[in-house]
Amino acid sequence: MNDLNIPGTQSTPCVTALREQGLLTMAGDSYPENSFEFFRDVIAWIETFLRDDTGPLRLELRLVYMNTSSVKAMMDIFDLLEEAHTQGRPVQVDWLYDPRNERVLDLADEFREDCTFPFRIAPDGH
Amino acid sequence: MEPIDLFELREHFNRSRILLCFNGPISRSLIEEIGNALKNYLQAENALPSAAMDVFSVYVELTQNIRHYAMARGYDELQGSATVVVARDESGRYLVQAGNMVEKADGEALLARIQELSRLDKAELKAAYKAQLRQPRDENAVSGAGLGLIDVARKSALPLSASLAPMDAQHLFFSLRATI
Repeated sequence: MNDLNIPGTQSTPCVTALREQGLLTMAGDSYPENSFEFFRDVIAWIETFLRDDTGPLRLELRLVYMNTSSVKAMMDIFDLLEEAHTQGRPVQVDWLYDPRNERVLDLADEFREDCTFPFRIAPDGH
Repeated sequence: MEPIDLFELREHFNRSRILLCFNGPISRSLIEEIGNALKNYLQAENALPSAAMDVFSVYVELTQNIRHYAMARGYDELQGSATVVVARDESGRYLVQAGNMVEKADGEALLARIQELSRLDKAELKAAYKAQLRQPRDENAVSGAGLGLIDVARKSALPLSASLAPMDAQHLFFSLRATI
């Protein structure tokens, strides 16, 4: 299983995934026309990590704007985490946002409503 | 051909407080470029970050819907043309309007859907959004417009308004307006 290192573009976030640390980060805007294509590798990495490793998984997100198809892909990711969590696997999400833009908080908060694993939303840099 | 009076066009844009408009074939990269210009305008206008993001978001959903629809229907570039306008109204609210050519039946279904959405309050729209989010992905869905339209309706301060204009025997021009 490889680490991921996908550089960001205008419409896709920068993604890194480190197996040793059990850490996946995503930062930036996400509004590709074909979100399923973009998120396929990210989802595959998480599935493999949850299946082949036993350690905790943490997602550190600094996502700002997401189009609806990215939101749908992200929900698939959180569903994977939720499933792992109900099986006793330690998983958590830290979503960091710029406090000047309350929309990011709204976005993260709506995801959190449907999750029972530890999901922290905090102003970035505090 | 009648000469184009650029000054008259400019006056029209100014009177209608049009910040940005586009008419023609639209590509993925063009959506990004125009979106960038839109972000810069909004920043220069000192729009609140939340309002700027709502305007940008509505613009992206509407233009991507037009792209997806044109691809699903196998339209060529010209048939898949988009007409997009971002303006401000008298009270300073942002108007995002987008239109495109659609098949007659699709246009009528879309209009009915918009009217349905315009009767929902914010809580009902949120419930509809979450329910749609949980729907299985339909690879053959013609528009994919389900989630995007609800999202646009949620961000609009006034109910969405939509209209249809006849183009030819099979086609209508569908136009949608959101107010932010």
